[in-house]
Amino acid sequence: MGELAVSAAADDELVSMGLGSCVGVALLDRERGIAGLAHVMLPEANAAYSAPAKFADRAVPALLASTERLGARRERMVAVLAGGAQMFGGNGRTTGVAGLDLGARNEAAVRAALAEVGISVRATATGGDRGRTVRVRVGEARVSVKEAGGVEVSLWHPLIAADDLVEIS
Amino acid sequence: MNVHYDEQQLDALRELASIGSGTAATALAQMLGRPVELAVPRALALPLADALDAVGEPDAMVASVVMPTAACAGGARRDAEIIVLLLFSYRCAASLCELLGVEPRSELGDSALGEIGNILGASAVGALAQMTGLALEPQPPHVLYDMLGAVVASVLSATAGELDLALVLDAELSIEGAACGLSFLLLPTAVGVAELLGRLGLDRVPDPSDPPR
Repeated sequence: MGELAVSAAADDELVSMGLGSCVGVALLDRERGIAGLAHVMLPEANAAYSAPAKFADRAVPALLASTERLGARRERMVAVLAGGAQMFGGNGRTTGVAGLDLGARNEAAVRAALAEVGISVRATATGGDRGRTVRVRVGEARVSVKEAGGVEVSLWHPLIAADDLVEIS
Repeated sequence: MNVHYDEQQLDALRELASIGSGTAATALAQMLGRPVELAVPRALALPLADALDAVGEPDAMVASVVMPTAACAGGARRDAEIIVLLLFSYRCAASLCELLGVEPRSELGDSALGEIGNILGASAVGALAQMTGLALEPQPPHVLYDMLGAVVASVLSATAGELDLALVLDAELSIEGAACGLSFLLLPTAVGVAELLGRLGLDRVPDPSDPPR
């Protein structure tokens, strides 16, 4: 929650459990076997704040820099997103409470930050009104997602064609 | 940003949690017609990630009722100053529905759980309002069956805002003869905490514009 992790160890698995309105951002460089995962809670930081991983506008550059430090190359990287649910106010209800409709705003901010650094989003399991757990298997460059009350499904793997876009809602 | 609360402030917040959850326990006992036991409440001021861990396993499935509360101060209404959160097991949700004579996981069952949230939340928040003289207005409850982390993190994102610090006031309520425990959490926003402390005369408040310590 509000943290980021990167790894170049093939056996490692990066996990964000129980993503609600938060967004899990995975960056993968399959060729070098490097992956990173950030748990974004809010769309943007005010200037004074220092811990980057919590905010979309800071988390994406920080995650990118961390993976690049391990040797990942930006032009090879793909992004996979999970989370960003509308936890309070599904089924067209509105909460009437500001600050609780963060899911869509988080996703939009993450997408904007990724566009800025030129990394394309290749697979998403976002929106809806259920929580999700996302797992990144570093060596295999695979991402799976499990929705609350559901089963784990594959969201991204390296054999997905270069021009395919995967969306699981 | 590195805000912290001192022991005196935490003691005062613990006292508020104690009074709030005590009132809520009484209301629940009246509603169900059986004794409700209340464990000593905690007041934790923790970094967000730790706050989530303190509440429970992030991917455990839980039943929950979320009730935001808006503060009306000086005529301006500010949203979600305190969010009341009830967390309990699916089994406990079923027992509560049974005690109230409604089908669990049905529209009526969910509405009954929402009503429990409403009554507990409103009585706790009412007690806080009375103690502090703050006008707090409960909003309609939401009933969710989801991953604990998804529920709690989404609420904490909203309450913590810019701060990397969450204040968690929680108490365990157990219902006699129903093998059912509820976590009752009061999650104030940073502004909400400042206001509560201010009303108690302990307002060496965290200020978002403070330089990092």
